[in-house]
Amino acid sequence: MATTALPSVRVPLDHPLRKAGPRALVVGLVALAICGLWAIFDPQQAVRSYLIGYLLWLGIALGSLAILSIHHIAGGAWGAVIRRPLEAATRTLPLLALLFVPIALGVGLLYEWAHPGVVAEDPILAEKAAYLNVPFFLVRAVIYFAIWLLIALLMNRWSIEQDVAGDPRTTRRLEMLSRATLLAYGLTVTFAAIDWVMSLEPHWFSMIFGLLVMGSQGLSAFAFAIPVLVVLMSTLQLDSAVRPQQLRDLGSFLLAFIMIWAYLALSQLLIIWSANIPEEISWYLRRSIGGWRWVATFLVVFHFALPFLVLLSRNAKQRGVILAAVGLWLIFGRWVEILWLVAPSYETNGFSLHLLDILAPIAIGGVWIWFYLIHLARHAVVPVYDPAFAEEEA
Amino acid sequence: MSTPARLHGVIAEFTNPTDLLRAIEEARAAGYQRMDAYTPYPVEEVSEALGHHGSALPGIVLVGGILGAISGFALQYWTSAIDYPLNVGGRPYNSLVSFIPVVFECTILFAALSAVLGMLALNGLPMPHHPIFNAPRFALASSDRFFLCIEATDPRFDADEVRRFLERQAPRAVSEVDA
Amino acid sequence: MSDGARPAEATVVPPGAIIGPGQTFGSVTDKISSAVLDRVPRGWWIGFGIGLSLLMVFFTALGMLFTYGTGVWGIMIPVGWGLDIINFVWWIGIGHAGTLISAILLLFRQRWRTSINRFAEAMTLFAVACAGLYPILHLGRPWLAYWLVPYPNTMGMWPNFRSPLVWDVFAVSTYATVSLLFWYVGLIPDLATLRDRSKNILGKKIYGIFAMGWRGSASHWHRYETATLLLAGLSTPLVVSVHTIVSFDFAVSVIPGWHATIFPPYFVAGAIFSGFAMVATIAIPLRAAYGLENFITLKHLDNMARVMLATGLIVAYGYMMEAFFAFYSANLFERSMMHLRFTGPYAWSYWLLILCNVLIPQLLWFKRVRTNTIGLFLVSIVINIGMWLERFVIVVTSLATDFLPSSWGIYTPTIWDWSTYIGSFGLFLTLLFLFIRFLPMISIFEMRTLVPEAEVEGGEEHS
Repeated sequence: MATTALPSVRVPLDHPLRKAGPRALVVGLVALAICGLWAIFDPQQAVRSYLIGYLLWLGIALGSLAILSIHHIAGGAWGAVIRRPLEAATRTLPLLALLFVPIALGVGLLYEWAHPGVVAEDPILAEKAAYLNVPFFLVRAVIYFAIWLLIALLMNRWSIEQDVAGDPRTTRRLEMLSRATLLAYGLTVTFAAIDWVMSLEPHWFSMIFGLLVMGSQGLSAFAFAIPVLVVLMSTLQLDSAVRPQQLRDLGSFLLAFIMIWAYLALSQLLIIWSANIPEEISWYLRRSIGGWRWVATFLVVFHFALPFLVLLSRNAKQRGVILAAVGLWLIFGRWVEILWLVAPSYETNGFSLHLLDILAPIAIGGVWIWFYLIHLARHAVVPVYDPAFAEEEA
Repeated sequence: MSTPARLHGVIAEFTNPTDLLRAIEEARAAGYQRMDAYTPYPVEEVSEALGHHGSALPGIVLVGGILGAISGFALQYWTSAIDYPLNVGGRPYNSLVSFIPVVFECTILFAALSAVLGMLALNGLPMPHHPIFNAPRFALASSDRFFLCIEATDPRFDADEVRRFLERQAPRAVSEVDA
Repeated sequence: MSDGARPAEATVVPPGAIIGPGQTFGSVTDKISSAVLDRVPRGWWIGFGIGLSLLMVFFTALGMLFTYGTGVWGIMIPVGWGLDIINFVWWIGIGHAGTLISAILLLFRQRWRTSINRFAEAMTLFAVACAGLYPILHLGRPWLAYWLVPYPNTMGMWPNFRSPLVWDVFAVSTYATVSLLFWYVGLIPDLATLRDRSKNILGKKIYGIFAMGWRGSASHWHRYETATLLLAGLSTPLVVSVHTIVSFDFAVSVIPGWHATIFPPYFVAGAIFSGFAMVATIAIPLRAAYGLENFITLKHLDNMARVMLATGLIVAYGYMMEAFFAFYSANLFERSMMHLRFTGPYAWSYWLLILCNVLIPQLLWFKRVRTNTIGLFLVSIVINIGMWLERFVIVVTSLATDFLPSSWGIYTPTIWDWSTYIGSFGLFLTLLFLFIRFLPMISIFEMRTLVPEAEVEGGEEHS
């Protein structure tokens, strides 16, 4: 397939994003320092808040891996225009692997099942001990990261190769890799979701949970990549690649992922609520005691209904500023949902928001964004030879 | 040619959409306003050239959907919580979570009906007869021919002049259409 | 079904093309409408005859059922939901591909959908018609089916809206209505074509009435396109909701093997899986019989096979989650349910299901299988069987061996169970052959947009 080359546009040295990175790093480090100090006095709260922040940013990176794979398989110019922002997010996975260390060290502070004493007195946890035990938990985490890092490495390397030559064999190789990626992604994320989130309440289980986390990660990836693209569009000359149609498509994808998230979340709620089995419904009861009820309501209204209604409008989807605002708002929404998933596992007395629940996401986010922007600036911000551009021309 | 008492318009037949589009643009440039094109499949450029932008349909569908949602919920709330309150396994009379599926289905049903009925109403269908069917060879409009009809209601309409104008647009044929 | 007499098309369709070379507006119109207006191949009579014969079997089975009641079936306590509910879920699953092809692929601007959407939609309608009958037959007193509908009545009662069975009534009837609307709206311009080309006076009149005076006006087309897009946007979540609600029939209960939160997405994926398999099962003989290789190309078959592979993997993920969570839940009943599926009295059905739905579809990874008509045909039939077995496993094994071993029981379908199932093929095939005979099985007006000369000069070209 003959592909037409696009100009290779890079982030120039005087670009505002270049300045934003170090600033984010400073903010992140300050917040991180506070979290670190706090951890000396209250390590339990620190690592629990840290998990919330970690899951938020990890979701963007992993979601990007999945969206990239879908694009390499299905094509479409919508994916080509956000390919580089997504790829830069997958290149943050080494940093995220490093940032996993506090969680690995804090297993005992996070998870009830990590205490042999508790397990010995709880027959259900004893039954699960073959899976929920500290060594196996760590081995699994190593396997997940090994798979994610390998995929991210290959996907980025071949993508840059494609920029140089536009060799159709590279395109083909990317497609093959993407198929394997989706299989591996589905399995690793499912089990990572069980390990890191579901097992916070080790008696509770829900089979849809892995899919729910995957849907959330896809949503995170779009919610993050769209504002990045809009900033790049408004500051660089990208008219040859990014058309209004593609912005509209991205808006539609964001809308679709909001609906997927709502669909999966509602399915889980409706099934558990209707069956009303004690071991399952207690998970929701913890999350609807006191103020948590209002957090849940917030999610329904502001993580679903409001962005859904905004994105129904064709006009809104064509305006970069509105799309970017919806994206950023949804990242905030993601934080609220992760807070709602994690925090009530420890609190049985209703809503409580710790300062660190806010600071830890900022700490990780600051460092992460700095790292992200370095990677974004490293290559052309729009792929030079994506076959999807040629298809769309056709 | 003697102009009949009642004329719907003058129609030109084209063999491809490009010629049709060019003729429409020429006709607009010549100042004709009341015209319609007939094509065997939707041609976006033709609709645009004739000035068809936007539509009331999305609004109608939105209203239909909202009405559907309200009626779906009202039906369930009234029957389950007011008219016939029944304790089912200790669930509240107003079981909001359980009501979602039916609210959703009603929303879609009403919105889809609004889309179809709205489209037909705005198009004035069903219309068993229309003068345009009097045009010779008009049956081909549903097969492989493209027609442009400049209608008699156009303020600048003059049958002979319109005929001469259309004949300049490389049509396959031009003819008058009785009302 | 093939009448074999027709020579294959002389032209060769280039790989990857979604329409054969050398097609014009006229040739597309002639070729597709002639299947309705001109010749009736011998194969049609054979197919219709088979359909009609099976329909007689269906009527006989229903006669037995209405005369003697549901006792003629093998259902008993604890297996109160037998073949009738299995068939309901199976048929309604098949009925998902049509609207999905029409709606989602339209939204994604996938032009390859054009030649298969019409008959896939028709197939949807007929499958939903077959599906819709089963819950009604299952009622025992089917003549009281209207009790399911909320209407003011002298008993002063209303349906229980917390029950998924009532949601089903709304979901299936909405789905049938909207699918019918979508299909009919898509047919209007083609009905106008048939009206204009039919030489038979009666045909002209009937097609004319249903074409509603369509005249292809540009302003009409404009609204028509808007309406189609809106319907597509509405149908997409609707398709998903229908099988979701069907899955709720099981999942909101407390029966191990039924109560699983994965059910909604897993049922939806399974429905698409079986729906595309059925489209392939029908499309492959049809294109051979009517010489439609120029319109339904290998590219179409390849794409359908890819969808089957992807949805099949999601279904396999569902099986894996069921097995893993039986362990992870550490719940005695969940674990024994899974253990009995693996080794219990119905273990044959579980392993056969894994073979049909997980192992054999992996052949679709190979392009050679995807673009081999016979290979794909066989795989699609295997998937149809596998998806039926899946419903058998879910319905029967979960009920036969639930909490109390003392109340376990084995369900054996009787001849009337089977003849109701086989007979429903009669209804499906009869409707399908009538459709092929009287309506264009491929959307003519949409195919015209794929013809090279459809591009307005100065506009952009497509492959």
